[in-house]
Amino acid sequence: MEPSHAILQELVERLADGDREAFRPVFVHLWPLLRRHAARHLPAQEAEDAAQEALVKIFRRAPEFDPSRSALAWALGIATWEIRTFRQRRRRRREEPLSERGHEAADATPGPEESAMMRDLESMLRDAVGALRPEDVETLRLYARGERPDATAAAFRKRVQRALERLRAVWRTTDGSS
Amino acid sequence: MDPRDAMFDAALLSRARRAYETARLSSALLATVWLVPVLALPLFGCSDPLGNLVSGAGLILAATFCLWRGGAWRRGVRPGLIAGVAPMLVPFLMQTGSHICMGDRCYLFPGICIVAGIAGGVVLGLLAPRPREAQGVPLFAASLIAGLAGAVGCLVYGLIGVGGMVFGILAGAAPVLITRRSRG
Repeated sequence: MEPSHAILQELVERLADGDREAFRPVFVHLWPLLRRHAARHLPAQEAEDAAQEALVKIFRRAPEFDPSRSALAWALGIATWEIRTFRQRRRRRREEPLSERGHEAADATPGPEESAMMRDLESMLRDAVGALRPEDVETLRLYARGERPDATAAAFRKRVQRALERLRAVWRTTDGSS
Repeated sequence: MDPRDAMFDAALLSRARRAYETARLSSALLATVWLVPVLALPLFGCSDPLGNLVSGAGLILAATFCLWRGGAWRRGVRPGLIAGVAPMLVPFLMQTGSHICMGDRCYLFPGICIVAGIAGGVVLGLLAPRPREAQGVPLFAASLIAGLAGAVGCLVYGLIGVGGMVFGILAGAAPVLITRRSRG
């Protein structure tokens, strides 16, 4: 774990325990990260809104934070969910002009800190996937590629769902130790 | 930093703080909601239940405050509640066994509050965080909650019952805490 991640971990744990002095440092650590993370996936104005919503949700959920989990993965998980919600909303409104897509591509280069975070997350994800059964890994790989094996759609959906559940369970038990 | 950015950050910080405090309060209220039936206990006693009801409300408020505040305050809640069980319930159990009331006061074995207080005090001494931890805040919170829980039951015997219960808690907790301290 990088030093800044260890500091964030300690601060979020203190905040979860009710230490109000950790409030501002957590804000100072997270706000720029969330803005950059959102800016990689959304156009500027929406990115700002999504980052704000994610930040408020992180603080709302901070009292329930489980110290055995990685604070960074937890915070980015909430932010990613928020970004997904914004994208879904936009898709529903069919308001995705080409210029915005161009903007997304321009902002897609992560900074050094975010690259390190993403490397951490990817390594944690690899560990979690490595702990799955080979059949589950194969199912998830096919699903990610948009392919389908010789099975009915319903059976494959069920298989994907089960593989994802097992991945989530492994992730929950391993992400704190990375 | 641009002053507008600073203002924006301050507004967002304050929004995040409100969300955090509201979430802490909701979770504290949810955690103490099971104490609400305690408020009904005095209705089974024969004394004027107002004092007991006030103590019960005080207990819920104190536990909610400690859980909302968190940290050292939160660490005192569980030991305090466990220690307060005996002095809270024993008087009501005695009431259901036999009834000797004069006017609005029950005079049945007020000494039972001393005994129940001692039992609660021993439990408090065993479970409560050490007096030196966090400047004694967890021990203070645990004692306050144990005292308020005990008062819900012992007010059945009036202020004599409460006094006896407080004496019992102190007498039960002190030797255990001293022994724990001497053992390091």
